[in-house]
Amino acid sequence: MTATLDKPVIKGKSKSAQMRKYGFFPGCVAKESCKELFNSTMLLADRLGIELVELTAASCCGASVLNDTNRDVARVLNARTYAQAEALGLDDVITICSTCTGHMRAANKELLEDEGHMSQANAILGKFGAKYEGNVMVRHLLWLLIDDIGLDELKKMVVNPLNGLKVAAFYGCHIIRPESVNGWESARNPHSLEDLIVALGGEAIDYAGRTRCCGFHVQLEKDGIAANMVGQNMRMAKDNGAEAVLTPCPLCHLALDGYQADSVQRWGRTDLPIFHLPQLVALALGVDPSTLGMNKHINSPGLVLQQHDLAPAHVA
Amino acid sequence: MAYTLDIFRFDQATDEVPHRDRVEITELPETATVLDALEHAKAEIDGTITFRRSCRSAICGSCSMNINGTTGLACKTPVRTVLKSDRSIAIDPMPNFQPMRDLVVHMDPFWDKYTRLKPYLQPKDRDEDHERERRVSPEDMKKLVAVANCVMCATCYALCPVVSVDPAFAGPAAIAYAYRFIEDVRDGKRKERAAQISDDYLWLCAHCYACSYCPKHVDPHDDIIAVKRATIEEGITNAAGPRHALVVAKTIKATGMLHETEVIQGTVGRFNIIGLIKVAPFGIRLALAGKIPPLFLKPVPKVDEIRTIFDTLEAPTL
Repeated sequence: MTATLDKPVIKGKSKSAQMRKYGFFPGCVAKESCKELFNSTMLLADRLGIELVELTAASCCGASVLNDTNRDVARVLNARTYAQAEALGLDDVITICSTCTGHMRAANKELLEDEGHMSQANAILGKFGAKYEGNVMVRHLLWLLIDDIGLDELKKMVVNPLNGLKVAAFYGCHIIRPESVNGWESARNPHSLEDLIVALGGEAIDYAGRTRCCGFHVQLEKDGIAANMVGQNMRMAKDNGAEAVLTPCPLCHLALDGYQADSVQRWGRTDLPIFHLPQLVALALGVDPSTLGMNKHINSPGLVLQQHDLAPAHVA
Repeated sequence: MAYTLDIFRFDQATDEVPHRDRVEITELPETATVLDALEHAKAEIDGTITFRRSCRSAICGSCSMNINGTTGLACKTPVRTVLKSDRSIAIDPMPNFQPMRDLVVHMDPFWDKYTRLKPYLQPKDRDEDHERERRVSPEDMKKLVAVANCVMCATCYALCPVVSVDPAFAGPAAIAYAYRFIEDVRDGKRKERAAQISDDYLWLCAHCYACSYCPKHVDPHDDIIAVKRATIEEGITNAAGPRHALVVAKTIKATGMLHETEVIQGTVGRFNIIGLIKVAPFGIRLALAGKIPPLFLKPVPKVDEIRTIFDTLEAPTL
């Protein structure tokens, strides 16, 4: 049970990792406005030879917002999701969103560390015949790539190296903070995305914005707030030489891709194309770029992909 | 252990732009903190280096500054943990504040936001019985223990990305103090306090958890969420923030999913034409790129189970 809370110390420790068959929680945004993230994840899984079993009856993780209305509801909703994974014999639930990662892990931590929370959840789940045994671990696809596949193995699988493409990592708050919930790598100085970029043949750009907030969660609360936060971070990335940005979070993707145009007045033009994590990995691993949905981005990556001989401009 | 302090230097009385000084430290023991190094530099090398400090033991909250790009208390940061590969340490004033001299900043906006909260107990029975002791059960006190550790060092305020783009935001420490009184069973101004902190843009908190780096482990983010719940309980819901939270809950209860298009309409207000026009460019941009989120969502399988969870917990929705 403790494996759920800590970084899975031994590679391939979970039953799912041994079977190369994982529970898959795509989250709401990958099923709604960022369908290209869902599709490119499935294509990447296929290329990696792993099976992602979608938990189709799962609910939203609570997206950090549900806690604002009630302290218990997100935790119990997530317990229901974990019970579904257990019923399928899967002990490893993979997410493709930083916010899902952080909030599902936080719920799991509360359930596993507090018997009162676990019994409250199971009392409600019992009303429809479900029970969470406490055997599920929640991880992001990024962690799976590094812990279960391994950077060395990924390097060997690269057939379309990124040819020095200068990529700035943008982590998304909830995959690193709070460290007591995530703890897989240092929240102040993470390097998994940079390691991955280098392994794929790109150049990782360092800038202070990489661990900062995209503003997505307050985009509707006050005019211009998210655009300002996006502009500030993308300015730093651009000034340090970035040609593109890589994020493991579709909420960050929506904000970074969607609000650069609104931040021009204060921060100047940045026009950085933003890649979803599985898009860039799949591209380097030789998946047909025209299938990765890069033409669904507002800031087209076509030009930089063409400049680095990664794909013809028209596919993005 | 030898290393270099790379210090931000500026005097508002004489300087138009800041410059940097490099000070070599050679004589301090391995256990030295960044504050030890600064005090040594001031005493032995350059007496004009200016910074705030008092207790040297993370109680007074004076010495928060930017150390190699991250904010924290200099007295609590051992030099050996922050040395860069070139054996230097960059020391800057806290971000999100105007520098006054070297590492000393103008703290006024931080204190103003704190003062606006009326940060003192306003008991329910104030006029009835002045002499009586107002007792608090250990259970009720538990909620206030963490926030009582706050030393007002402003590290969280300096780290807050929302403050950095919008100085109107109250910031984490002030909201944690609002929590401290809102959750105090002896206080009689819960609703007024909730209204006040809502006006100071409580709902602009972006849930980024940057304040989880609190050097005193107050971790204001949980308090911020609790204050948001308190404002909803007090019926202060006619603003984008609470509407957003409640419409998200509504769509999850109805479909199992966070339904993006309904959340946008519900937050901005279906009949708020100006508001909808303001969010339109973002939506149009998405649509032009071929990203059209579904207008109607089919509920996930067994959505009744999700509704049972909401109903059992009596979770509020729009």
